[in-house]
Amino acid sequence: MMATIPATLARNRMRKLPSGRYAVVAIVAILVLSPLLLIAYQSALNGPFFAESSRLDSGAWQYVLGARQFWRAFGTSAVVATGMVGIGVPFGAVLAFIMVRTDIPGRRILEPAVLIPIFLSPIVTAFGYVVAIGPVGFISLWVKSIVGSVPWNVYGLPSLIVIAALTHVPHTYLYVSTALRSVNPELEEAARTLGAPPWRVALDISLPLVRPALLFSASLTFLLGFELFGLPLVLGDPAGLLVLTTYLFKLTTLLGVPSYQMMAVVALSIVVVTLPLVIIQRHLLGQASRFATIRGRGLALRPLKLGRWRWVALTIVMAWLLLTVAVPLAGILLRSVVKGWGEGVSLSRVLTLDHFRGLADYPNLIRGIVNTIALGVIGGAVSVACYLVVGLTQHRWASRGVAVLDFMVLIPRAIPGLVGGLAFLWLILFIPALRPLRDSMIAVWMAYSTVWLAYGLRLISTALLQVGPELEEAAQTAGASPMRVRWEITIPLVRLGLIGSWLLIFMMFVREYSTGVYLFGAGTEVIGSLIVSLWGAGGLDLIAALSVVSVAIVSVALATALRLGVRLHD
Amino acid sequence: MALNRRRILHGASMGGLLLAAVGCGDEAAPAKPGDASKPGANTEVNSATGKGTPTVAAFTGAPLEIKASDKELLEAAKPEGKVLVYSTTDSASAKPLIADFNARYPEIKLDYQDLNSTDLFNKFTAETAAGTETADVLWSSAMDQQMKMMQDGLGGSYQSPEADKLPQWARYQEPGKTAWGTTLEPFAFVYNKKLLPADAVPKDHTALIKLLTDKTDLLKGKVTCYDPEKSGTGYLANSRDVTNFPAFWDLAAALGKADVKLYTSTGTMIEKIQSGEHIFGFNIIGSYILPKLKTDAETFGMVFPQDYTIGFSRVAFIAKKSKRPNSAKLFLDHLLSKRGQDILAKQSLLYPSRTDAEGEATASGLQKELGDKLKPIPVSNQVLDALDQTKRLAFVEKWQKALGRS
Repeated sequence: MMATIPATLARNRMRKLPSGRYAVVAIVAILVLSPLLLIAYQSALNGPFFAESSRLDSGAWQYVLGARQFWRAFGTSAVVATGMVGIGVPFGAVLAFIMVRTDIPGRRILEPAVLIPIFLSPIVTAFGYVVAIGPVGFISLWVKSIVGSVPWNVYGLPSLIVIAALTHVPHTYLYVSTALRSVNPELEEAARTLGAPPWRVALDISLPLVRPALLFSASLTFLLGFELFGLPLVLGDPAGLLVLTTYLFKLTTLLGVPSYQMMAVVALSIVVVTLPLVIIQRHLLGQASRFATIRGRGLALRPLKLGRWRWVALTIVMAWLLLTVAVPLAGILLRSVVKGWGEGVSLSRVLTLDHFRGLADYPNLIRGIVNTIALGVIGGAVSVACYLVVGLTQHRWASRGVAVLDFMVLIPRAIPGLVGGLAFLWLILFIPALRPLRDSMIAVWMAYSTVWLAYGLRLISTALLQVGPELEEAAQTAGASPMRVRWEITIPLVRLGLIGSWLLIFMMFVREYSTGVYLFGAGTEVIGSLIVSLWGAGGLDLIAALSVVSVAIVSVALATALRLGVRLHD
Repeated sequence: MALNRRRILHGASMGGLLLAAVGCGDEAAPAKPGDASKPGANTEVNSATGKGTPTVAAFTGAPLEIKASDKELLEAAKPEGKVLVYSTTDSASAKPLIADFNARYPEIKLDYQDLNSTDLFNKFTAETAAGTETADVLWSSAMDQQMKMMQDGLGGSYQSPEADKLPQWARYQEPGKTAWGTTLEPFAFVYNKKLLPADAVPKDHTALIKLLTDKTDLLKGKVTCYDPEKSGTGYLANSRDVTNFPAFWDLAAALGKADVKLYTSTGTMIEKIQSGEHIFGFNIIGSYILPKLKTDAETFGMVFPQDYTIGFSRVAFIAKKSKRPNSAKLFLDHLLSKRGQDILAKQSLLYPSRTDAEGEATASGLQKELGDKLKPIPVSNQVLDALDQTKRLAFVEKWQKALGRS
């Protein structure tokens, strides 16, 4: 609560640049709402919006809302999303507490490692699981040779929920750990002095203090649960399991040619589910709590001594890393160096490096790799700069504008990639001003930046919230203009946070896959869209090799960052 | 001479159009491949139009003559400088063909983009509607979507001089629009040799039903095929199964009892048959298996069903609004030429449709092996039946019921 008074003061003074701020809100609104409005319009037609014969028609709504399969898929999605929140958020919170507050062994190495699952493309992860722990996966066969049968089934609802929940843990971890770092440690110290065991400190003091971060993580996880595509496609399909996005996928071919209006209806239904979520979240948080916990920078915190529980904590973290990182990565890595695998295959006899050599034969694949890196490095940096502008707009601004922004940035994440990518293509094709961007990496970059807007903005605003208002105020009192305060005080203070965000965005851009499918052409291929187009024809040899390359790129980025001493969060 | 041939063929194309317009009603019964390749067919066309006297060279397709006519087209194409192709044939399979085109026409930049069929359709239709840069040649295995685009007027007309070597079922010639079936790829039974005893391998669809019912223990959850709801290719194959096999719904019921696993991607099915997660695949595209038979012969087994084997075709056409029509023609000619089709037969293993194509995998080879049991899906408006929404939804409903999954 300490921050409230100076923050109000600063807020009053900084009201000087509202027009600039509204301009930013307007630009974000255009970027975010135009695909949404186009999709809404498409849903109310009886054919493609660009076809002359298309008329207004409610048929698509009637068909989809009347289809039993839609509701079944809807139910399954809700169950999966709820399960993910139920398992993933508590686990993520505990993980964050262990990593930030305790003396768990090997923290320096574990810290970057726990983020890895978000940087793996889900469709690749899912395929890795099939190779590793599928019915004839190499781990399954090994277990079978010992106990006589495979005691798990990687396909079906339970495993889908568990795998989806565990692979989405880093989202919660990221936000909760950042919040925990800025929680005033004096309260925890007090509880510890009074003899509370670590778990009580966590449950009674620390976690309630980061309630905003928990709530945000919960709604983000829920939203991601509805948006899940790669995992249910690979792990749900063999079990006949349909979620909203795979139902959407089905609508592309159910009638032979893609039924855009029905796809639009399903996409909107996902947005409709997620929007109230954002409203509830904001309502629960109120205004002040965003600032309330962010104090106490500079206070060094003694890590909580776990004693013999250290090893239990380490085991939990390692077991989770094993299941969400090591197992699927081992699957993919193995697949990339063998000609075949599975029942009755002696792996040592089928080893080969041909798939990697194969990559060199395809100029488009090599271009894809180069483009991906460029998009991540250069595009990522520009994106961070844009997110920073939006973040600064929100910074110390008490206005409806902030609520509107918070609300809007989540929309692109809520639109399933299958439809979102298509909507972007449509916009670029049919808005003459955008047409020159086509066939350039700028179009791909715009789509990526929009899709990851919520994520990037959250990273930036977390960094911004840690800037104490005192320095900004001092500069202002000394007569600096608001622009100058930002340029000379605020931005330099969040420098490290920006580099960290750049790195995270880089890795997100490397793994992204569905958004770019329609935007790539010769010269603008990226790894993600190449994987998608190879998937159809069954080029799994190349897919595995490409995936390994993409994981390698991310690893190099991570290693570089750690060497340079970049904090991945803060 | 060069000029002559092009004129003759232009004449031929007019005649071909007329004939096709008259004869298109017959396409329901697929013409026997091979008939059309007889030189006689072409002579008739020419005499019908009364233009020019066909020279022997024009009909034997002597390489020299083709080159000569190419030259003229090449001159027209040079200022265009480039041809953009959207294709469902992945770059890996198409690579030899692309390399050969590049070697033959270094002046024309071939921009080859492989997409899955739905993405190809979405992208091309939207781009055409917006009037922006888009593909000059469309080459897709989704026959129904290709024909839908023809129907919607997105396809143009070009009577390729190479087309007279295509069997009748592979030619779609209507006033103002032409499309060509470049391959004939069989839907096959594919199995894992290590896991399915040789004497249990079914030779036809009736035997497949028997296998599924007799060996339920072995096969439960280990049989795979396309999901006709999610895969256009799968539906196309199944809609042909229904007409060719009266007991198809018994087969569907048997598949349901065996807890068949349905997929949208061929790659996934092949991968899982190879790994042993699945043992048997129904309606698997043979051309995708051929390379696997080479690299992993001890695992893969493939059977063309003896009662009937459906073949689909990769259909190619030139976009009506193509901004580089001459380069487009050049590519299409190359694709349909003896040279191009031989590459498809020898290196890509795609079963090219041209009757004189030579190599390991050719449509004529299949024809020899299967005779009238080979049922090509003709490149015709009949394919559009597959897009009839009422029929489609009715099929899906019946399919789910038969599988016991509704």
